[in-house]
Amino acid sequence: MISDALVEPALPWITLVWNDPVNLMSYVTYVFQSYFGYPRRKAEKLMMDVHLKGKAVVSHGTREQMETDCMAMQGYGLWATFEKDD
Amino acid sequence: MARAFRRKGGRFVATLDVGERTIVAALMEQTRTLLAPDVASTGDPLADLFASLERELEAPDGMPRGTDRAAFADRDPALARLLPDGHSGDPQVAAEFRRLTEQDLRRRKTEALTAAIDALAAIPEQVDTVSLDRPQADALLVALTDTRLLLAERLGVRTEDDMSALEARVSLRADELGHKSDDRSEDPLTFAVAVYDFLTWLQESLAGALLGRRLFL
Repeated sequence: MISDALVEPALPWITLVWNDPVNLMSYVTYVFQSYFGYPRRKAEKLMMDVHLKGKAVVSHGTREQMETDCMAMQGYGLWATFEKDD
Repeated sequence: MARAFRRKGGRFVATLDVGERTIVAALMEQTRTLLAPDVASTGDPLADLFASLERELEAPDGMPRGTDRAAFADRDPALARLLPDGHSGDPQVAAEFRRLTEQDLRRRKTEALTAAIDALAAIPEQVDTVSLDRPQADALLVALTDTRLLLAERLGVRTEDDMSALEARVSLRADELGHKSDDRSEDPLTFAVAVYDFLTWLQESLAGALLGRRLFL
């Protein structure tokens, strides 16, 4: 049996979106659907995590990919950061 | 009287009179002024890139002039909300990310604000119907976000608690002023919060229309 770690590329960086008092639940859902192309259920689940838990990991990838995603989220006015996934 | 956005065929339609449109556009204009790139766009991406690189090379420590540390500390605090740090734990990574992305982010945000302002300005004064195509609706939605972020920052709202405290202050103010509506509309804080709530309502309806259903209304 081949473990997932062997067949999947390492995705050591993450993009986080943080809760803020301005961004609307509907808008955050719209951003996750429009930019990442996530289906509505996944977009709403991530939005609820941001809303209730204060933050959510919205994507995994290389540092360059996460910088691109973080910049895109900030372009939409969301409070986003990227970091190494420890 | 304003009416929320709804989808009509392929378009996004709301009712806003010229007074309402003027307020929205004026606030977007202020947001655009704050966010304008330090390096003005020439319309030629290659020339813009060279201009940005030139600024970078002039900087003593790798940070572009105008975003050096002293100038950065002196910046309008609203910019920290509109262009936040990309890394919360490592200031060096955050600075590098800012150096690579800030001018481009400013340009993108400025473009959305310009598209939204232009769409509202193109409507004849006596017409109350706002009818947007998809790219205009997307631009207005993003422009409303940055405008609300700026307004919230100016109102001192950084957390959910700040927002509740502000709402409590305004309703207390309303009780003090009684129901003399003239006094209420002349109170700057009451007016600013009413405008913020109006932008929130408008954005909520547009996001709902773009998502194809009325969410959380």
